[in-house]
Amino acid sequence: MLTISHLSKRHPNAARAVFDELAFAVAAGEIVALVGESGVGKSTLLNCIAGLEPADRGAILIGREAQDIVRLDESARAALRAASIGFVFQAFHVLPTLTVAQNIAVPLLLSGVAPGEHQARIEALLARVGLAGFAQRWPPSLSGGELQRVAIARALVHRPALILADEPTGNLDPRTADEVLALLLERVREEHASALIVTHSQHVAQRCDRILTLTPEGLA
Amino acid sequence: MSRLRWQLAWWLIRAQFLTRRTATALAMLAIALGVALGYAIHLINAAALADFSQAMKSVQGEPDAVLAAKDNAARVPLALINEIARDPAVAIVAPVIETRVRVDHAAGHTADQAAIHPGAPVKLIGLDIFSAAAVMPGLLPRQDGGSIFEDGVHASPALLARLQLKVGAGVTLTRGAARWRTRIVGELPAARPGDLLLVADIAWVQARFGPPDAVSEGRLRLMPGTRPASWRESWSGRLPAGLTLRAAADDTQRVSNISRAYRVNLNVLALVALLTGAFLVFATQLTAVAQRSTQFALLGVLGLSPRMRLLQVLFEGLAIGVPGAALGLALGYGLALAFTRVMGGDLGGGFFSGSTPVIAASLLPSLGFFALGCAASLAGALYPAWLNRVQPLAQALKTGFAQRPPAVHGLRQRPRRTLLIAIVLLALAALGLTRLPALYELPLAGYGAIALVLVLGIAAAPLVTQIVFGAFARRALSAPQRVAVQNIVQAPLMAQVAASGLIVSFALTVSMVTMVSSFRLAVDQWLDTVLPAPLYVRSKGMPLPQELLAALDQPAAPFARIERTAHGALSLDPQRPAVVLLVREMRRADAAARLPFSGPVVAVAADRVVVWISEAMQELYRLAPGQTLRLPLLGREVDTVIGGVWRDYSRQFGAVVIAAADYLALGGHFEVSDLALWPRRGEEAAAKAWLAAHAAGYGLDIAESSEIRALSLSIFDKSFAVTYALEAAAMLIGLFGLAVTLAASVWLRARELATLSALGFDRAMLTRAVMFEGALIAGIGLGIGLACGIAIGAILTHVVNPQAFHWRMELTIPWLQVLLGAALTLAAGVIASRFAARLATRLPAAQVLASAQ
Repeated sequence: MLTISHLSKRHPNAARAVFDELAFAVAAGEIVALVGESGVGKSTLLNCIAGLEPADRGAILIGREAQDIVRLDESARAALRAASIGFVFQAFHVLPTLTVAQNIAVPLLLSGVAPGEHQARIEALLARVGLAGFAQRWPPSLSGGELQRVAIARALVHRPALILADEPTGNLDPRTADEVLALLLERVREEHASALIVTHSQHVAQRCDRILTLTPEGLA
Repeated sequence: MSRLRWQLAWWLIRAQFLTRRTATALAMLAIALGVALGYAIHLINAAALADFSQAMKSVQGEPDAVLAAKDNAARVPLALINEIARDPAVAIVAPVIETRVRVDHAAGHTADQAAIHPGAPVKLIGLDIFSAAAVMPGLLPRQDGGSIFEDGVHASPALLARLQLKVGAGVTLTRGAARWRTRIVGELPAARPGDLLLVADIAWVQARFGPPDAVSEGRLRLMPGTRPASWRESWSGRLPAGLTLRAAADDTQRVSNISRAYRVNLNVLALVALLTGAFLVFATQLTAVAQRSTQFALLGVLGLSPRMRLLQVLFEGLAIGVPGAALGLALGYGLALAFTRVMGGDLGGGFFSGSTPVIAASLLPSLGFFALGCAASLAGALYPAWLNRVQPLAQALKTGFAQRPPAVHGLRQRPRRTLLIAIVLLALAALGLTRLPALYELPLAGYGAIALVLVLGIAAAPLVTQIVFGAFARRALSAPQRVAVQNIVQAPLMAQVAASGLIVSFALTVSMVTMVSSFRLAVDQWLDTVLPAPLYVRSKGMPLPQELLAALDQPAAPFARIERTAHGALSLDPQRPAVVLLVREMRRADAAARLPFSGPVVAVAADRVVVWISEAMQELYRLAPGQTLRLPLLGREVDTVIGGVWRDYSRQFGAVVIAAADYLALGGHFEVSDLALWPRRGEEAAAKAWLAAHAAGYGLDIAESSEIRALSLSIFDKSFAVTYALEAAAMLIGLFGLAVTLAASVWLRARELATLSALGFDRAMLTRAVMFEGALIAGIGLGIGLACGIAIGAILTHVVNPQAFHWRMELTIPWLQVLLGAALTLAAGVIASRFAARLATRLPAAQVLASAQ
């Protein structure tokens, strides 16, 4: 669940706002694609939603508790991300010095899920992303597609209310991209989470429930 | 922090250690070294002090007070002892005579040199058996039936072993003109293993070595319920001039004070080692944070709070510090054990030579040193931790480590003017500290000034870098040079960290070289003045044999000139070591020619007694030339006039010279212990032979001035050997810091360098660019380090040495050594940057460009 209202953002010393009075919502279980030209502010919007960049005005309500991340301080934003948001990046960002299982366990540790549940959740998710038996493998030994599967498992393991994905298939070949996307959508729907996927790919966008196009003038 | 967060922290710490083994191990070792040095110094000194205290108790017992003369030539009258004994508050007074004698076999030959060291006289204690039983039970002889004190002396087991004699053996005891044949009639079973002692009945000693109506000391036990301090206070006003009542604890305190400045100096050196450890932790953690910035950013995005990102790096610092400090304690303990086995309890200052201490670790100091190691490690991790906390997550996730973090909590990047003002303020503060006097007789403000100069050097690095490289950037440069200069300007943090390591290490090296060089030159010049005669004879702690002195007075003696000196000791303050009294055969008018005066020589009226004091005495007792000085001489207080202050590098706690004629006029007895001899022209060889023949068998030190000079300088060089080792270690750590930070900088720019490679930079050009960058950074570090080093050298020479050891000297900068060192370090820096250059060119450019990170 994500509700954005009157959201405005202007970079310091910039002539015009990145976006102004932006408003939209993503319902529980809904997957929305966010498309737009390069430089239009898609990543900035995603950063604002995740609390990584401050918004100038407006509200961003996240999760079942509808917490406004704009109003939270840095530590509370981190806590909200840990509890309610899952991330999938174009560059995978899997920690190379932790095993696959440890990588997936990071959100569980940060969100305070009882340790007794960790192994079962990790093994179940690894099986569902097609990586059963990979728990003790090290990331440098995995392919790009496998790394992105690990990232998807990590994004879902703590059962967040919102998944934010930034070009999740951008670094993959078409066949692997297709497989990974299918997996991501399937798992998000299975968890009944909301998802906002930033993409340049029409193919990816078409497979989402709804498409939002960000333009310099606002959402279309 | 929850258990789950701890688990994550532990995973990250383990990963960090596994991926950066060498750097982590080196940082850990550096912390261990700092802790080990400090802990070993503490253990050795504590053990030596305990040993000394035990030895004092063994010989002196545990009296409540000791009545003694302030001048070692004076005595305590027996009448006074009897008067004090009648005081109802006094339980018992044990009169004691202490003297030193040479022990010869009954046949008349001195004991074999291998058996007993010549020139090391033995302490002879005369005591009254009944009072000694109450106050000094450790000195009681074995009672084998019959009278305890038969006509003879009792020897400690250690002395018997040294002399290779048994009870019943005949010996001759000699002191000056007094010589007595006697017998060893028993042992001293309670004497400590190393004690070389003879004990005899006080009347026996008095009868042979005098004086008959006085003793060396009275050791007192007070009645139960009497407060020793109040009782001493009540008597001190009634004591005759020249006598003092001191607490037994004063002796231990005095010995502790003797070595305090030396210990503090050694501890400062240990602290320097610890600081270099902290710097290594800093360099290691900073590069670790920089290299893992994307990972930390990811963790931040996943929900690791800013506080936890800061704590994580601090935990990693602590994870280096805890094992480092623990290892340091173990190393320090081992070092102390090994050191005391080989060298005894003396740390090199000569304050505890001869002691055989037992090393014992105690909990509180061990915990203190452990905490110090951990604190140094934490301090090193503090700035990298803060940088990790303020890294902009989105940017770090995309482009890696931001060397210029954004403003946080209102802190803005400092403009050049603010930096300049801060530098000027720091310089003024450092200058102000150098003007402060010693605190608690330690140069604490001087050490503070040194720390400020180092901070100043590091703070000045960005400004100097901006000025130098701003000018550089405007010049026409080759492509590799342009890349190097631009990188330093664009990535200032890594360049400054690398330069900082060199600034600190080179500054410390230059300062120590400058101080040692100034000191050595000063000692060399001083030796010229204090060793004017070609030959010297010395008898340690005893008067020279009368036969030798009489022979020297004969016309057949091949000497053109002889200068005699007697030694004494004056106690001006019970808690300070005694001042050395030098009674010298010299005319008042010749003083300026005979002593190395450091200031004006005052003309003193002929009817006044003139003395010349050393610089140490001037500073310790705040005296000035022309001032009247009341000295405890020959059992009374004598008003003297200070005729001048002379330089003395051998007696740290002060010395005072009085002309022999004046001393004799005061009623003193001139017991010559040192001779300066000028052989007749052309009879130098004959003079040496004559001396060898006449001094044989007395265990005297005979040396030519050149030998004394060589020995003195050799001792000087040895005492600074540890300093040279620390300098070398500091330079290696500085170079390691340069190599590590350059490597990290190159790692962070892997994609930029790969792009340059794709654009036409070949391997040689990339190597040249990185090595040029290393040379530029090393140049900046060495330049600032040189300036700071000279400033610190001046502080050490003009502030620390005079305040800690009362040694004054001129500043001499050994330019050749310093510049050669700078050139070598620069070359080593360039070689170290080859390591980073290899890293830059190792990976194929295509692979780097294709990689996601």
